[in-house]
Amino acid sequence: MPQAPNNEALDEHLKDVVQALHGAINWAMPHMNDPKIVDKAIQDCKEILDVVMEGKVSDWLK
Amino acid sequence: MFRDKIELKDFEKMDQEYQDLLRRVLAIQADCEIGGPHLYVEMILPTAPTKLDQLIVARTAAEEIDHYRKIARLAGDIGADVSYVLSRPNQERYVEAFRGRITTWEDFAVFGFLIDRIGRYQLEEFMGCSYAPLERILPEVMREEEGHIDFGTTKTAELAAKGGDSKAKVQKALDCWYVKALDMFGRSDSYRSERYRHWGLKRRTNAQARDEYIKEVNPLIEKMGLQVPDPNKGRLYY
Repeated sequence: MPQAPNNEALDEHLKDVVQALHGAINWAMPHMNDPKIVDKAIQDCKEILDVVMEGKVSDWLK
Repeated sequence: MFRDKIELKDFEKMDQEYQDLLRRVLAIQADCEIGGPHLYVEMILPTAPTKLDQLIVARTAAEEIDHYRKIARLAGDIGADVSYVLSRPNQERYVEAFRGRITTWEDFAVFGFLIDRIGRYQLEEFMGCSYAPLERILPEVMREEEGHIDFGTTKTAELAAKGGDSKAKVQKALDCWYVKALDMFGRSDSYRSERYRHWGLKRRTNAQARDEYIKEVNPLIEKMGLQVPDPNKGRLYY
């Protein structure tokens, strides 16, 4: 059965995206009383999620 | 009913109807997984009431993206490219509940309470299903969905418990999402649903699953001191 085009590449890319999001969140969670750390994590998540929401798959896989 | 367990290597040997149904259900599931973040990330991530809530919104989106990834991978392995759902406008989503935009915290809370719960029902359909690779990804996906449901249920109850304007707003959100939730189960007389069951890809009829859902959520709504919405007002499917 031939796989869909870019099946593995997209899977790997999204794994990295999810890992980056969890990394930012897990870094901030124990530091909820440090606004600088938390704000930076939220901003990082927003930037990553904005790219996912844009959905330009061909750009991701360049 | 078909009871064999099918692995990827056996997929091409299966009846064309089986292949088509599996590709279709995976495309719809992938669309629903990524459809959630597309509803709420833009408006709710920046405006959630607390920074902790903002992080939880981001974590919820991360988990839904990962669910999309897992389903898309299964679809891709059987030759179905579902990456088009990553960029399609919300108005074109397969399921009506994902065609708008969530703009209030009350809607986000109720979405978790009611719609993520439907996500759990959809995933439960695949427990013990005939396509083994699909069954294998379920435990972690379902565990994360449970987390989304718990958060939404807790926040909905908290908003209702505040009373006054807060309770009125959450009731309004409930009125909106309750009928969408019931519609998500599809038509009770769906022929396709019967074929899914015939091939062991789903367990319950649409009507059975909807009835179980109603029996589960109505007591929760009443316990929160909210009114169970009219189940017929604005419904598209019966």
